[in-house]
Amino acid sequence: MSLEEIAFLFLAAVALVTAVAALLVRELVHTILWIAIFFVDLSAIYFLLNAPFLGVIQLGVYAGAVTVLLLFGVMVTRKRIFAREAATGIGPIPLALALVTFIFVVSAVAELGQTERPIRSYDPSYLSVNLFQTNGPWLLLLGLIMLASVSGAIYLVREGRE
Amino acid sequence: MIIGVTGTRLRRFEYGGWIAVALSGAAMVVGVLIAFGEAMSPGNYTNVQITWFHVAGAPGTFPNGFTLVMGTLVDPISSLMLVVVTVVGFVVMLYSIGYMHHDKGLPRYYAELSLFLAAMNGLVISNNLIEFFLFWELVGLCSYFLIGFYYEKPSAASAAKEAFLVTRIGDIMFLLGIFLYFSHYATAGPNGGWAANGFVFVHGTTPFLAPSIRGSSTLITVAGIMILGGAAGKSAQFPLHVWLPDAMEGPTTVSALIHAATMVAAGVYLLAVASLFLGFTSFDSLVIVAIGGFTAFFAATMAVVHPDIKRVIAYSTISQLGYMVLAIGAGFAMVGLYHLFTHAFFKALLFLAAGSVIHALGTQDLFKMGGLKKPMKLTAAAFAIGGLALAGIPPFAGFWSKDDVLSSVYSQLGAHPAYWPFFVMAFAAVFLTAYYIFRAWFLAFSGDRIRDPTLPAAHEGPWVMQVPLVILSAFAVGAGLFVFLPGFQGLLLGGAGVAGIPPAYGTADVFLSAVSVLLAAGGIGLAALLWGNGRVFSLADSSVAQPLRRLLLHRYYFKVGYDWIGAKGVYTVSRAADFFDRYVIDGTVHGLERMFGAMSDRLRRMQSGLVSDYAAYIVAGLLGLFAILLVVAPFLIARFGGS
Amino acid sequence: MTTLILSGFLALSAGLLAISIFGILTRRNFILLLIAIEIGMNAAILNFVYFAAFSGATTGLDGQAIAVVLIGFAATEIAVGLAIVLALNRLKGSINVAQAIELKL
Repeated sequence: MSLEEIAFLFLAAVALVTAVAALLVRELVHTILWIAIFFVDLSAIYFLLNAPFLGVIQLGVYAGAVTVLLLFGVMVTRKRIFAREAATGIGPIPLALALVTFIFVVSAVAELGQTERPIRSYDPSYLSVNLFQTNGPWLLLLGLIMLASVSGAIYLVREGRE
Repeated sequence: MIIGVTGTRLRRFEYGGWIAVALSGAAMVVGVLIAFGEAMSPGNYTNVQITWFHVAGAPGTFPNGFTLVMGTLVDPISSLMLVVVTVVGFVVMLYSIGYMHHDKGLPRYYAELSLFLAAMNGLVISNNLIEFFLFWELVGLCSYFLIGFYYEKPSAASAAKEAFLVTRIGDIMFLLGIFLYFSHYATAGPNGGWAANGFVFVHGTTPFLAPSIRGSSTLITVAGIMILGGAAGKSAQFPLHVWLPDAMEGPTTVSALIHAATMVAAGVYLLAVASLFLGFTSFDSLVIVAIGGFTAFFAATMAVVHPDIKRVIAYSTISQLGYMVLAIGAGFAMVGLYHLFTHAFFKALLFLAAGSVIHALGTQDLFKMGGLKKPMKLTAAAFAIGGLALAGIPPFAGFWSKDDVLSSVYSQLGAHPAYWPFFVMAFAAVFLTAYYIFRAWFLAFSGDRIRDPTLPAAHEGPWVMQVPLVILSAFAVGAGLFVFLPGFQGLLLGGAGVAGIPPAYGTADVFLSAVSVLLAAGGIGLAALLWGNGRVFSLADSSVAQPLRRLLLHRYYFKVGYDWIGAKGVYTVSRAADFFDRYVIDGTVHGLERMFGAMSDRLRRMQSGLVSDYAAYIVAGLLGLFAILLVVAPFLIARFGGS
Repeated sequence: MTTLILSGFLALSAGLLAISIFGILTRRNFILLLIAIEIGMNAAILNFVYFAAFSGATTGLDGQAIAVVLIGFAATEIAVGLAIVLALNRLKGSINVAQAIELKL
């Protein structure tokens, strides 16, 4: 077992555990701590996959901005931020649906077999070329949608709307 | 450029008039810069596109599959159109600030107008027919909204519906035309066929479907006629012309922008693009020439008697569009576009001048006006400049382009004798045009007083209404002279050069020019004689001419005929359908109804309103689909065998 | 050059997706819903990065480029989602989605 495989197995286990923990703990603030670990863990996976640029973006956007935003959301919506949530049951139907989804996807993935494949490494500077030339229109679209959603968000939270 | 175009899309604030003006101004600067860059490097074009989706090929039918792309193409002809759309758009936006000042629903107005401008810009820079069609429908929709802007007025609402339905006939023909071309040329032509190529307008030295590929197929002739039908619907050409005069129910600014300069020109643009990139068969060309020439004459006759200032101009628009179609049919697409270019400016000028008269007086009836020369000097001068340009008096814009249209058709008469009658009609229309537009001018502006004393005293509009008149006047005088600028020649030549179309501008026949100028001058003279100096020429006691006048006023009873077809034809069909419906379908329906009633009662309980439950339904549905695709379908295929 | 098994990564994504679906279906707190959606979104983004890394062709960079765009989308979504949270909180005094059931027939 190579070093990379051990690293991958460890990171994958952490990702799964933190994701489950984030959804099951009953203090919202703890949830956000777990999800922050989850995001950092994913960024480590990006580094493992030779995508350092994405890893940095993941750290900045998710582990940084999104986490703070979520924390902010928790702070303004409750009086005591460490209040516990009411327990929610684990219904059998959702559990079944999730499991069936997992089985479906995994059975599709299983066809790929267990061959080991090399991981390509790219020069990050080529990524910027790709991002701004080949996929430029998508970036433009992202900008437009961000603009629209920011105005939408401002509209939603505007005070004194009847 | 995309920023310039999308910029107009992003406006949406309360009373966004000035914002819309600023953004359309920015779009104008960008548009003009693009055209300038294009003019500096003739024959150059820029194509940016992304793949929308791709359908894999199937052996036998579509070996290469087909691809749809979304993209923008900037070439000489689209940059020419870009100038028209952005300049006129900006000027009209500015004018609207003053003209629409007292109206309700201004945010709606500016939003719709901006949406229209964005769609129109998108249309002219589309690089393939499918995208073109999408924007085409979008401008049609905006036109519908804006004609019906005064929706409290029943006549406006019905005019909007009429415009929408009539152009829809054209749109359906256009779509059929695309399908026919698609089915026929899925594999022919470069890059594995037109369809495989994503319907893209391909630049080459000959039209994409060169005559050798075009052959003499009936199918492709029909496809060409269908494309013509689409163009005729949008550009209000002969059988589908009825909607444009009624579209004058919208605000005058809308008439100037949409129904004079840009949207109705989209039909002509489509024809030009189709002739440059697809090519028409000779029969198609004849039909196009016939429709163009006939419409030019036919619409001009109706304008001669009409008392409504806006409708007179509307008929002249139809007539001028006929000239453009005529030139394209004769094989001179660039000449048609050149006329489109000049026409957009002087026709928008005429509409805006008429708009300031309407703004001042609150009526559109020519016979109530009169003597406006003194209180509204600027408007009178602007209208006169527009009229001179329309009539084709040198050196105004209309002269150069109309002359090119006539001489280009004239040059084809030797090869195609069948063009003769339509050439003569176009020539006769020159006389009528000069007559009716100056009839309108003399009725409105000459004399010493307003005929209807109940009208308020006339005054000029605010500066935002005067500046556009001045800008457009400058264009109406100068746009024709652009042809002597090498850069502009580059645009026309570049567009022609890439598609191997003869340019034929500035090569006007001196004799032809002289005749057409004399005809136009004669028309103006006759108008001055009959209507000048506040006179009103009456046909009341002339019994011969009276029925003719009635015929023209009722527009050859075309609308009545269409209404009759609509009423009787549709009614009969409906009766039959009703019978079938009552006895055959209803029996079934009542049975089903009980069943669904019981079912819906169950389903209703599922609507808990809780998002989680809805999400669960979505996931379950998705899994069901997966199950069908991955388990059931393979099982069925294995059991019964795939064919 | 390091080699790894693609299937393992895809199984990780599948697991995260299942967790995300489970969260979306069971949680009643809006912020938790958002977090669950983010987990699913990340699972999808991960897939793009895997295929970029394991693809043999040079077009593999497309995967990374799209992942960048998707991260942007996800951030946008969080912003709008939190705006909805605030609006909901003002409207209902709570961010429990079980109370926002006006769509019920």
